Amino acid sequence: MALVSAAPYLALLGEEDANLKSFALTSLNDVVDQLWAEIANSISELEELYEDETFSSRSLAALIISKVYYNLGDFEASVKYSLNAGDEFNIEEHSQYIETIVSKSINLYNTLSQKKFLDSSITIDERLVGIFEKMLEKCIKAKELKLALGIALESYRIDVVERILNHEINVSEENAINLINYVLVCSNTVISNSDFKTQVLNLLIKLLLPLTKNQEFFTIIKIIVQLNDSQLASKLFKELVIKQEDLIAYQAAFDLVGAASQALLDNVINELSKDSDSNPNPITKKILTILSGVPTCDLDITFLYKNNNTDIAILNKTKNLLEGRSSIFHSAVTFANAFMHAGTTDDSFFRNNLEWLGRANNWSKFSATAALGVIHKGNLSQGRNILKPYLPGSSGAPHTKGGSLFALGLIFAGHGREIIEYLKNYIDEHGNSAGTNEGDVVLHGAALGAGVAGMASGSETLYDALKVVLYSDSAISGQAAALAMGLVMLGSGDESAIHDMLTYAQETQHENIIRGLAIGIALLNYSRQEKADSVIDELMSQESSILRYGGVFTISLAYAGTANNKAIKKLLHYAVSDPSDDVRRASVLGLGFLLIRDYTSTPQIVQLLSQSHNPHVRYGTALALGISCAGRAYAPAIEVLEPLTKDPVDFVRQGALIATSMILIQQNEVSYPKVKDFTKKLADTVKNKHEDALAKFGATLAQGIIDAGGRNVTINLENAQTNTLNIKAIVGLTVFVQSWYWFPLAHFLSLSFAPTAVVGITGDLKIPKFELNCHAKPELFQYPPKYEETKEKQPDKIATAVLSTTARAKTRAKKKQHLKEETEGKKDGSDSMEVDEDSKAVEEPVAATATAATATSTSTVKTEDEPSKEEKPASTEPSQVRYTKTPYKISNLSRVLPVQSTYLSFIKEDRFVPVRKFRGSSGIIVLQDTKPEESLELIKTVRQLNTTDAPVPEPFVLSDADIKELDDY
Amino acid sequence: MTETEKETSTKTITKEVDEQSPESIVKEIEQSFSLISKTASSFDNRYITKVFRDLGPLRRKLTKPILVTIINKLYPDSHSNKQYLIEVLDGINSDSGETKMEIDHENNDDIEVDVDEDILIPEVELYVHLLVQVFLLDQNQLEKLNTLNDNIIQLMKLYNKRSLDFIEAKIWFYIARTKELLEDLHTIRTELLNSLRTATLRHDTETTSSIITLLLRNYLLTHDINQASNLVEKTIFPENASNALAARYYYYLARISAIQLDYSTAHEYVIAAIRKAPQTNLANGFIQSATKLSIIIELLTGDIPELKTFKKNEIGNYEPYFYVTKAVKLGDLNLFSKVVNQYEELFKKDDNFTLVLRLRQNVIKTGIRIISLSYSKISLKDICIKLHLDSEESTEYIVSKAIRDGVIEASINHQKGFMQSKELLDIYSTKLPQSEFDQRINFCLQLRNDSVKSMRYPSDNDNKSELNGKSDSKGDEIDLIRAIEDGDLDDFMD
Repeated sequence: MALVSAAPYLALLGEEDANLKSFALTSLNDVVDQLWAEIANSISELEELYEDETFSSRSLAALIISKVYYNLGDFEASVKYSLNAGDEFNIEEHSQYIETIVSKSINLYNTLSQKKFLDSSITIDERLVGIFEKMLEKCIKAKELKLALGIALESYRIDVVERILNHEINVSEENAINLINYVLVCSNTVISNSDFKTQVLNLLIKLLLPLTKNQEFFTIIKIIVQLNDSQLASKLFKELVIKQEDLIAYQAAFDLVGAASQALLDNVINELSKDSDSNPNPITKKILTILSGVPTCDLDITFLYKNNNTDIAILNKTKNLLEGRSSIFHSAVTFANAFMHAGTTDDSFFRNNLEWLGRANNWSKFSATAALGVIHKGNLSQGRNILKPYLPGSSGAPHTKGGSLFALGLIFAGHGREIIEYLKNYIDEHGNSAGTNEGDVVLHGAALGAGVAGMASGSETLYDALKVVLYSDSAISGQAAALAMGLVMLGSGDESAIHDMLTYAQETQHENIIRGLAIGIALLNYSRQEKADSVIDELMSQESSILRYGGVFTISLAYAGTANNKAIKKLLHYAVSDPSDDVRRASVLGLGFLLIRDYTSTPQIVQLLSQSHNPHVRYGTALALGISCAGRAYAPAIEVLEPLTKDPVDFVRQGALIATSMILIQQNEVSYPKVKDFTKKLADTVKNKHEDALAKFGATLAQGIIDAGGRNVTINLENAQTNTLNIKAIVGLTVFVQSWYWFPLAHFLSLSFAPTAVVGITGDLKIPKFELNCHAKPELFQYPPKYEETKEKQPDKIATAVLSTTARAKTRAKKKQHLKEETEGKKDGSDSMEVDEDSKAVEEPVAATATAATATSTSTVKTEDEPSKEEKPASTEPSQVRYTKTPYKISNLSRVLPVQSTYLSFIKEDRFVPVRKFRGSSGIIVLQDTKPEESLELIKTVRQLNTTDAPVPEPFVLSDADIKELDDY
Repeated sequence: MTETEKETSTKTITKEVDEQSPESIVKEIEQSFSLISKTASSFDNRYITKVFRDLGPLRRKLTKPILVTIINKLYPDSHSNKQYLIEVLDGINSDSGETKMEIDHENNDDIEVDVDEDILIPEVELYVHLLVQVFLLDQNQLEKLNTLNDNIIQLMKLYNKRSLDFIEAKIWFYIARTKELLEDLHTIRTELLNSLRTATLRHDTETTSSIITLLLRNYLLTHDINQASNLVEKTIFPENASNALAARYYYYLARISAIQLDYSTAHEYVIAAIRKAPQTNLANGFIQSATKLSIIIELLTGDIPELKTFKKNEIGNYEPYFYVTKAVKLGDLNLFSKVVNQYEELFKKDDNFTLVLRLRQNVIKTGIRIISLSYSKISLKDICIKLHLDSEESTEYIVSKAIRDGVIEASINHQKGFMQSKELLDIYSTKLPQSEFDQRINFCLQLRNDSVKSMRYPSDNDNKSELNGKSDSKGDEIDLIRAIEDGDLDDFMD
């Protein structure tokens, strides 16, 4: 029979003899699991025993106490005593008690260790460290290396990470590289402290560089982008050049151009060109060309130009429906046009509607001219020529001049080396003319242009030039200059700059300038995380709501994509408690930026806010969803947005429509059936006479966004190649949402558009014609069908309306006449007959037209029905993409949606093989030509099409050709 | 009331129909499998509540062939668990006869071809074990059940799934019940305590609360009151445990407090237990014993239960308690000892005998109170005679004790040997009514808050999806709601 009570043993504890006490403890240890409830009554006695330093079985007492606390559910105390139990606490034992306590200890160690990282004065109990390390050893022995690395990273133990990786490198490099990649992913997702993250990344670089067998250059590029370290990059390229790994180097260069900031690229170029001056190596030269960004832009616009699939009918219809004289509608159509044709170089809409264009006044004219920049975005070779007629020096209006300067900036967005000088000179020369009406407008454009072109270049001279404009304290040019200052110094966190801007914001009287500065400061702190906390606190404690507005944006940009809990909490707090509507709107909206990577959790977080009584909060909700889920077609987000598109407040509807289009960009009816309803809703909103202007504005913009870039671009906030955030896109969205105050800023959205293409190029940067396999159903990724003109039956209806009113007027006239006749006493039967006939005759055509109208409408209904019937079984839910065994072929340089790219594969034993192992990614892929002796069929890029020079003569020797080709660029 | 009657009658009809065809019962069980797997996949424990609601009627229909069929269907031949399950079922002469069994076996061969591996999820597996348990218990095969239980305990340790919570709670109940019937109460404690710890760590509320009540019952049966109260002090009974379990928990608490002389808390607990118990026929047994306990506790606190307490339930034998109450009310010691002698066996069976014996003091106290109310002045000797006490001295002691306890407002004149009652106080001039009111208002507010809390508000989105959803899912929902309203009652049938 089991023991019923622990009382006898407990009584022994009171004895004098130490042996008796030890015996009692040993016995208690055996029964503690059953009788803990009773033993708990005498816990103080046990604790006394433990405190008694002369007592021999102290550790056993501690173990018993620990077990009792464990059973009582007080795990903290239990951990404390288990540590004191020393060797009695056997980590190897398989029991729930041990497992629980060990896991609790590791948690405790993690939190302590994280604190210690920030504040080295904290000391951690050595025994706790002991347990932690014992467990790690256990993991390593059991070959659970990923687990061990994860725990080590979580507790900020870089030494452990290094040891594990070093050990693994010695054993097997293959495995080690896998683990390094795992650590890299973890460092992006798990580690919230940026200092530690830098340490980890540096460690990884240190480990990767000396690897001899498996050179993982692409992983290194990833890390370089995250570290923003130009020296490493140039070192890497030099090494590649020495090893003659030209193709890998090119691919790496393309990756770097796609993901790195302009400043980093500039530095790399400078360092590389220093060497190449003395030693002109063709490979280095080519790398320099690629790094200049020109080939990337050229390839992108070639793709957009070749595949342009704009549905101009939608735009024309919207333009016809919206009155051109109202500047808001004029701007709306301008933006829609710009978005739809972004990067396609197709400005036919403007050319075909010159009369409409001529109606633009003042700032609509500015926007319209700037739209050219969006349309020709990336057309680096031609951009300046196209804009020549409008640039300063021409006879145009100041708004045209200003717009053209902004356009110039947009064309060279992020690759502004050639143009910055020009813009800066203009600003330098005319910086003092701020304040005059004309000069202000042009300077506004110049400043914006300089900001976009010199984005993240960190150029001090440009910054100073802009500062001059700012200090002239003119609302129009000052606002743009402030914004541009932020763009130039993007993410630098330059303290003197922040100080200057903040001081000036407190001095100036102009709200526009304050707002510009506030956003500028936010941009300066992009991705600074906890380093921006002091700035955030300062901004949030300001009395001016505009500065708090900037503070909220600083939070969202500093922590963009991190889903940092503290930041989310802060934003939610301001979203419900700030007295200013603007701040509340901005803080909800900011949630979208924070959750870019965890976009699935956004709908959940903002759902309650979407039912807020405050329309500004609702607007913020809509855009937060739009931002975080942009381009992802995430159904729950659409569910939350749907009621908002029917909101009673006009600007909420505007936001919801824009956000929905951002989410549903590039979707067709098969991949997301609701798209059809949505585009119809957009058309209806534009058409509806009673709709508010703001909602119509939103709907027009949404039409532009959903079909942006000739239906070949998406909004991509995360680089698939490097797992880094797409800075340009995030900045673009940030400034785009400022269009709430200033319409021309809407053009910034074009920065967020990324072409969805697969571009394979050869070593000499040419695009060969070849095909790839796509293992999925083709209809999933088709372009949505173009707008059908069949519905254009409205003139008929208008005609009938006219008829009936005139008819009524006629009958009324007739009746009057008839009455007159009656009063005149002429009562003739035939006369009344006549009247009857007449009215019938009038009615007949009305009825006829009516039936005709219904007939046409039914016919259109039918035509609409037919395709939907076919797809009915699939149309209830977005159909799942499945891997199909039989692929279909797509050619090089064609549209590949982000979802689609995972189903892509190269055809086996084809002529062209990718340099990097192909893992289903889109973008620029450098190819290895396995049969260089065979002839090639090439696709000409826009740049090549535009060069009117005589074609380069056929190369005699291959290396010579290379050099000549380079001269082209 | 009529509705529920109707329901039960329809149930019995279906039951009769089912009894003709074991296949349909098998089908019914398989249906509950699908519900259980729904629980596992959707993490919605309501489905399992529904299964348990049907378990009551189902268990009456269980026969050996049915169980064998189910087991054969479920397990592939090689499965180790199948062996012992079949083994324990072997050798039971079920009344349904051998011939049927053979037929079933033949059927099995056909069915076995399409043994679905997917269906063998832990939830279903444990549910089958539960069915076998229940069947063996009903057949009174305790030894076999006991060996099976050991297997089940091992099996449960293998799984760590939240969706098993409800099933495990049930299984533990039957395990403890077996041990109780075998009068082997000590051996199971270790296992219970271990699994209590596991369940708390995993936040399995249902299992935690079930095991706590089982442990308390176990301690009380062996009269380890101290251990029981230790356990109560050191564990937290989960707040959102089901009502049935909470009722049981309160009942045990009341018992412990009563034995520990804390009558007022005991009274609170026993009232809570009666209120929380499901008000259906199935819970009659529980309500009866709780009512008996509450009568005794009320008497011990010095109150007299209302007459309707005894007449409220037609079923149940309250006669002994009625007479005890009568004796206390009249303050008649003779009657009291007569009643105690007469009904000793019954009290012992109800486990209330010790508590009843404590009432002797109360009888005397009531007697004194009645006397003090009727006489403003009475000699101790007269009291002695009236109450049939031994001597005048002991009377004096008893009276002075009663005065000290505040039972009567009086004083004793020791020289002349009489008791002088004081003037009656106006109760409304004291704070008593106020505190009484306060208590009642608090109770009402608590009741309201609890009912608000227990209501489920569907969110807007759910509503939408329900509207879009098919009608059968709606029917499902209604069934579920009904199941929740009924609670799981069949526990009270034991």
